[in-house]
Amino acid sequence: MKKLDLPPPNSRSRRRKKRRVSLREILIMSIETLWNNKLRTGLTMLGVIIGIASVIMITAVGQGVQKSTALQIQALGTNVMIVTAGAARTGGISQGAGSASTLTWEDSQAIATQVPAAKLVSAFLQRPQIQVVRGNLNIATLLVGTDLNLPKIRNIQPQAGLFFSQGDLDAGRPVAFIGSKVRDELFSTDKSAIGGDLRIRGKHYTVVGVAESKGLSAGEDLDDVIYIPFTNMSSQIVGNNALTGIAINGFWLEAIDADQLNSAQFQVTNILRLRHGIKTSGIDDFRIINFVDIMSAFTNVMGSLTLMVGAIAGISLVVGGIGIANIMLVSVMERTREIGIRKAVGATSGSILSQFLTEAIVISVVGGVIGVGLGIALAYIAAMLFKFPFVIPLWSIGAGFGLSLIVGVLAGGIPARNAARLNPISALHSE
Amino acid sequence: MTNMIRMEGITQTFHLEGMDLPVLKQIDLSIDEGEYVAIMGTSGSGKSTLMNIIGCLDRPTSGVYILDGRDLTTLDDDELADIRNQYIGFVFQQFNLLPRLTALENVMLPMIYADVPRSQRLTAATESLTKVGLSDRLTSRPSQLSGGQQQRVAIARALVNHPALVLADEPTGALDSKTSQEIMALLTELNQQGTTIVVVTHDASVAAQTKRTIEMVDGVIVEAEHSGNNFLPNASLMQR
Repeated sequence: MKKLDLPPPNSRSRRRKKRRVSLREILIMSIETLWNNKLRTGLTMLGVIIGIASVIMITAVGQGVQKSTALQIQALGTNVMIVTAGAARTGGISQGAGSASTLTWEDSQAIATQVPAAKLVSAFLQRPQIQVVRGNLNIATLLVGTDLNLPKIRNIQPQAGLFFSQGDLDAGRPVAFIGSKVRDELFSTDKSAIGGDLRIRGKHYTVVGVAESKGLSAGEDLDDVIYIPFTNMSSQIVGNNALTGIAINGFWLEAIDADQLNSAQFQVTNILRLRHGIKTSGIDDFRIINFVDIMSAFTNVMGSLTLMVGAIAGISLVVGGIGIANIMLVSVMERTREIGIRKAVGATSGSILSQFLTEAIVISVVGGVIGVGLGIALAYIAAMLFKFPFVIPLWSIGAGFGLSLIVGVLAGGIPARNAARLNPISALHSE
Repeated sequence: MTNMIRMEGITQTFHLEGMDLPVLKQIDLSIDEGEYVAIMGTSGSGKSTLMNIIGCLDRPTSGVYILDGRDLTTLDDDELADIRNQYIGFVFQQFNLLPRLTALENVMLPMIYADVPRSQRLTAATESLTKVGLSDRLTSRPSQLSGGQQQRVAIARALVNHPALVLADEPTGALDSKTSQEIMALLTELNQQGTTIVVVTHDASVAAQTKRTIEMVDGVIVEAEHSGNNFLPNASLMQR
């Protein structure tokens, strides 16, 4: 016959005498319980999975789009600016943009020699939608007259042939360096393009090279273009409409480095104002577009956009959390009788609480891992589909995982604690 | 024989809507080791409340409860849980099995809380189920078992930690008369093997199969007699 094996009250060993179910045992029991109640487990987990997956996917898409736009802007050059002609003024009255060019070849040469922060300057004169004919094919494309600095500043590389030469430029020869889209539309191969004949405004041009594809930038197809010597463009295609000197649409400027961009901008402004006779209070007849400024403005916008998107994701996680809380609460109440039975056969409040808490943690962790996996997969699919870089911010995984764990533990733990405290009789008699 | 259970001046008062409801009034009770006792009474007589206190499922409002020479009134909840686990086996009217677990898993449950190693659990639970005649239903869930079989699983669970005391609350209340007989025979045989058994019932024919009947009316013990009746003395229904 078994004896009641309790040490006398107040003995030091009394605390130690208590049986404690091992953590491993609790874990096994929790997993078995979850496995035996697949529907309930699955539904609870679904809340966690959707919450985490949406946080990860939304932030990944946000960051991917941001990065892809940043890359496009960077492709233009972080130490590059573009100066374009503004509206001509006579006696302080604007004649409207395009009425006459306010920038001249001489302006660009002055900048090149007088601005110490400038490394390269490249003037351009361009016209959109110029009809280009080859045999019985014809297209309308952007025609750019420029010099030999443009390919250096804008990193334009030939995939076949060469850019036109200094000799071509000096002599104003009718030669063309064509974008890859123009090549696609007019010639079957790069090889057949070189030496090919194009007619622009009735004049014959010989193709000397084909540019490597640069893709889209800010909605503009960088491959849908033809470059010809500036001298030829000015004399044969456009004609001069400047008040003094040879008109240009503007020029690119590459600063010595990114830090010198602002001083270059300052120097360019001063020299142009001086050359154009614009007083301190006057209005500039040119515009300077600085890509660093655009990029920082864009980064600001994207930053707040990402924050907003993150907030939406956070809300979806909270909603998911409420779902988890709800189903856990119901499940604990449903299981009050089970708690009574377990207590009757010897479970302590502590082991009941650990079991329910462990169940909540297992659900949160397993749901979290699946959610992270699903989120990453969806983000990858979205990145492939919409062609932006695939970036998973680590913080989104951390935040999603952490929040679901907290929600799971609170939502599972608080009702479990109340249930564990129940008197075994009341728990047994609940239906 | 020593007193296994000794109660002196046990009272239990419930508070309902601001009113004090005395359910047990000054109960004095002694049960010896190896006894087979029925606590009888109508619904509301306090017999179940008394059983809950004996079984350490509930605490009395006042009085002294000494189990095997140890005063239990000073123990905390966890210590009472240990006593239930190690010392007492319960059999309920509604069986109280966990529906999602198999017979084997239900019987293993008390051993989890006793921290018995996994391998021993399986052996002991199989042994216990064999003892109540269910060796062929080890992996059945409660819903796949008849009422009598479910109660046998409950008895196997009550026995698995080798308790000194088995408490049965209306063990035949949900069963037909033939099955009731089988369950009572099982309890009788357990008692013959030395386990102290206390059965709570309102059914005189159940009480008649025990060796002593304690009758309760309105929270007071009115009659405690040793009946000496030994129903089915040599029945061996457990070895089917």
